[in-house]
This record gives sequence, structure tokens and C-alpha cells, in this order.
Amino acid sequence: MFISDDDVNDERRYTVYWPRSPRQVQIKPLAPRLDTLAGKTIGLLWDYVFRGDEVFATMQEALAAKYPGIRFINWREFGNTHGSDEHQVLAALPERLKELRVDAVLSGMGC
Amino acid sequence: MPSSTLVCEGFAGLAAATSIGLGMPTIPLAIVPGHTNVQSKEELRQNILDVTLARAIENLTTPPVTAVETCEPGARDIVFEGGFDALNDYFYRNEWSDGLPIVPPTRRRIEQFLSFTDYAPDKVLGILLPDSRAATVWSVAVNGVMAGCKPQYMPVLVAMIEAMADSYYGVEHSGNTPGGETLIIVNGPIIKELDFNYTQGVMRDGFLPNTSIGRFWRLYLRNVAGFLLHKNDKATYGNTWRVVIAENEDVLAEIGWEPISVEMGYARGQNAVTISRYTGGNLVVSLSGGIREQMLPYLADAVVKQVSWQLMFTVGQGMGTLRPLILLTPILARTMAKAGWTKAALRQYLFDHARIPASQFERILRDWTLKPTWNLAEEARLGKIPAVYHESDDPERMVPLVWHADDYMIAITGDPLRNSAYVFAHNGVLGYPVCKAIRPTASP
Repeated sequence: MFISDDDVNDERRYTVYWPRSPRQVQIKPLAPRLDTLAGKTIGLLWDYVFRGDEVFATMQEALAAKYPGIRFINWREFGNTHGSDEHQVLAALPERLKELRVDAVLSGMGC
Repeated sequence: MPSSTLVCEGFAGLAAATSIGLGMPTIPLAIVPGHTNVQSKEELRQNILDVTLARAIENLTTPPVTAVETCEPGARDIVFEGGFDALNDYFYRNEWSDGLPIVPPTRRRIEQFLSFTDYAPDKVLGILLPDSRAATVWSVAVNGVMAGCKPQYMPVLVAMIEAMADSYYGVEHSGNTPGGETLIIVNGPIIKELDFNYTQGVMRDGFLPNTSIGRFWRLYLRNVAGFLLHKNDKATYGNTWRVVIAENEDVLAEIGWEPISVEMGYARGQNAVTISRYTGGNLVVSLSGGIREQMLPYLADAVVKQVSWQLMFTVGQGMGTLRPLILLTPILARTMAKAGWTKAALRQYLFDHARIPASQFERILRDWTLKPTWNLAEEARLGKIPAVYHESDDPERMVPLVWHADDYMIAITGDPLRNSAYVFAHNGVLGYPVCKAIRPTASP
């Protein structure tokens, strides 16, 4: 029987390495949650696509009816989180949230 | 800070995959049923009130699930020993290959690749989102072997990954829904040294460096950046990888036009790679007749036809980041140069003539893609976009597709004696052009 070089190669054994690379990030604990949304300030972060303006308006209306004293910081205060200046917008976010005394964030739209 | 991320139903898997690489695998999501943009006002409102709202409240007020670290191999771990078929099957099942057979990344082969760079194997070229993995020189070599590259290509591969890691390029966007694909352009003497195709059929597979280096790019996006279909890669349709192209530098030198790499800031003769991401493209066949009378109006018309929703990268999502690319064959470039045309003059022509009515521009953004930023007059008045977009209140005034003439990129390549061109639709800020020098090859 004829055995080609290819058939011989099929019998070769290879010792091969992982093609990925270790992640450089460790799990970060998530922040403690709020006891209630009443009287709290909610920051709205938007990537300026997929009707987030309408979605946030609907949520604001419903949340305001349910939680007395709840306050909202409009997405315009933070800038576009997915625009050409997104790196600057995201870098400025922690300070901006602190300045505006935001307690929690609603962020959208992932669509 | 407590948060709730709002995602459409079809994006829950993407959000879950991305959150792992960000170190927050249990970040809470509030799902919007279906997709927002195909729902009536009332449907959307009802979906938010019936489904999304309760979940968002829960996300902000209920302690999240505690995340646990998952175990992975180490940077230089051996992951398999066995025959060719079995290892290919193993790599495919672990999502480390694209489905085509890979060349086994053995120690000997990896070391051959490493011998063609002065960088240490552990050198980190950048951290790549969304997986937040280190782009090490070692991992470049492993994936280069797998793609079927030759060891001599290693300096090109390293430069490409340096470009991939450049924040101006925006690799993190590579899994977006338009599913654009990166085009890599090679410049410099290395084109001939490594035998890149830079003439007829330049975008077709069939030449080892063009094909295998193109495949390497997609394998690296998969294995190190972390773009896997049905996970971090949400391309609606997607494409296979693009074959690497190279410019015809002999013709460029002959007619006195600069290569792309020189326009991107490097000296003529410097080996370099330029990367950018394109959502599509089309051939402009048989440019004929007079340059100003027929050829350029035809080309400008083709450029207009390649730009639609991408206008969001001109005004809105990516202010002034649209960079269409035009490939001209050598015979066209020679003909135009002989008639006194420079690349700068061509770019200016396209800026002046590849235009659409302002009403159409606004209609695409406002009515067809529901973008919140669409009013050209208002944006121009606020100084957010160039004045050329509001030179009058006439809704039928013609406005350019890009902010500046220099936003057009022109490369000379393809069949030397065929009078056709190719126009690429750019992905704007989600794959902005970046150029990197190819470091001189080390002596192996």
C-alpha cells in the first residue's frame, strides 16, 4: 500500500501552546445597592442612539410617580458616552457624578 | 455606584460577555424587549413600563450576585498534545480557531517567529478590549503561526498589533452591529521583500503574505481582543477577513504622488502598516473619457453611493471622523498625474463634488436612523460642525460627506492596466485610520 508524506504527517504528534493571553483585569466588587430610590438622585447616561431619550423620559415619569423626592440628572449633563469624544466623556465621569451628587446611574442603550 | 444597564433583548449575550473583560461579570442588566427602533411609540413605552422598569429598580436596590474568578491557562501553557486532526478539533471546540485548519503552534515554530523581532516575548504591545488581555509579542507569534504566516512576516504582525492597540483606532468597537472589517495597507520596501501582491487581484486571496496576514488579524481579534461570534462579536452579517493590500510604490514614485504611509506621517521608504475599518465597498468599473468631464464625476457619484447611515460619523456619533478610501489603479493614477492632477487636487474635487442635498443628509439621520443629532443649521450655528454645512437656509443646498478634503484617503494599487477604481465605506470613529512603522527585521 502506498503511504504518502501527508499520511505520515497525520501520525505526527504536536505539543502546542495557548493562543490567548491572560486577562489584565480582576473582578471588581459592585457597589452596594440603595435601600430605596425615594429622595435619591439618578444620573442618566446615554450613547445617543436607539431612542434612549424616549426610554429615559418614560422611566423618569414612572419612577417619579413611584418614589417621592427622586431627582434625575439629564443625559445632556454628561455628554455622549459613545461619540468621538467618548474617551474624554468616560474619563470625566467619576468626577462629574460626584459633582452632581448622583446616587445611582441608568445607562443605555445597548442595542 | 449602583447602576443598571439598559440593553435590547438581542444584546444580553454581548453585554454578559463584555462585562467579563471589564471585571464586572455580574453587572446588572435591564432588558428592553425586541429592538427599540422597530417599535411604535406606544409599544416602546409599554415595553419599558411592563418589563424594563421593574428590572432597573431591582438592579439599583437588590444586592448583586457575587462574581467568581474563572480559571484559564497561563500565558505560555501547553494546552494540547496530539495529532493534526485532533489538535484542530480541540482548538475549534475551544473557540481558538476560525474553522479552517491551523498550523500547530509548536515551540519550534513560535521561536522561529520570535527570532524576527528584537522585542522580548513578554513585551506587552497594549491591552485589548473587550477581553482586557495583554497583547504580548509571544501571543502575536502564536497566532501568526496558526494563521499560516511565515516567520519573516513577524515585524509586520507586531506593527499591526501596535496599531490595533492604539486608542485612536478603537478596537473595542470591532464587534459592533455593522460588522465592518479592517483593511490593512502595507507600504515600503517590505512589499517586495516579502512578495506581497500589489497589482492585479490585490484584494483576492492567493498570495501568501496578503492572505495569511489578513487571517492573522482576525485570529488575533478572536483570541486576544476577544471577539467571538454570538458573544462579543455582534456583527449583524459580518464578513470574512480582508486580504492585506499593498500600494504600487513604483508608480507612486514615477508620478510623484505620496503613499498612504507618508500621508499618515512617515517618511517615504519607511515600512509601515495602515489599518482602518470599512463597512463595505464597491467597484467603480471602467472610468473612461475626459478626467474632469467623465472620470471624476463618475467617481464622485460612486463615493456618494457608498455613504448612507455612515453620515452619523460626519455629524453626530463621530463628529468629522468619516474617512472614505478610494483605490485607483496605476493606469488611472498615471493618466490623472499626466494631466496635472495631484492627490490633494483629487481630494478637493471629491470634497467639492461628492455632495448630497442637506435635506437628504438630515433625512438619513433624523428619519431613517432616528439619530438625535441631525440639524445641520443648528450644529453649524453652535460651531460643532464646519460652516460649509450651513451656507444658506436652502434645504436643497449641497453639503459634503466629510468635514475636510483631507478626510478622503486615496491609495494606488490593483491591476496596472485596468481603468477601474474601488470605493470603501468607512466605519468612522469605530475604526479610525492608524498607521504604525514596521520595525526593522532582527537578524535571526
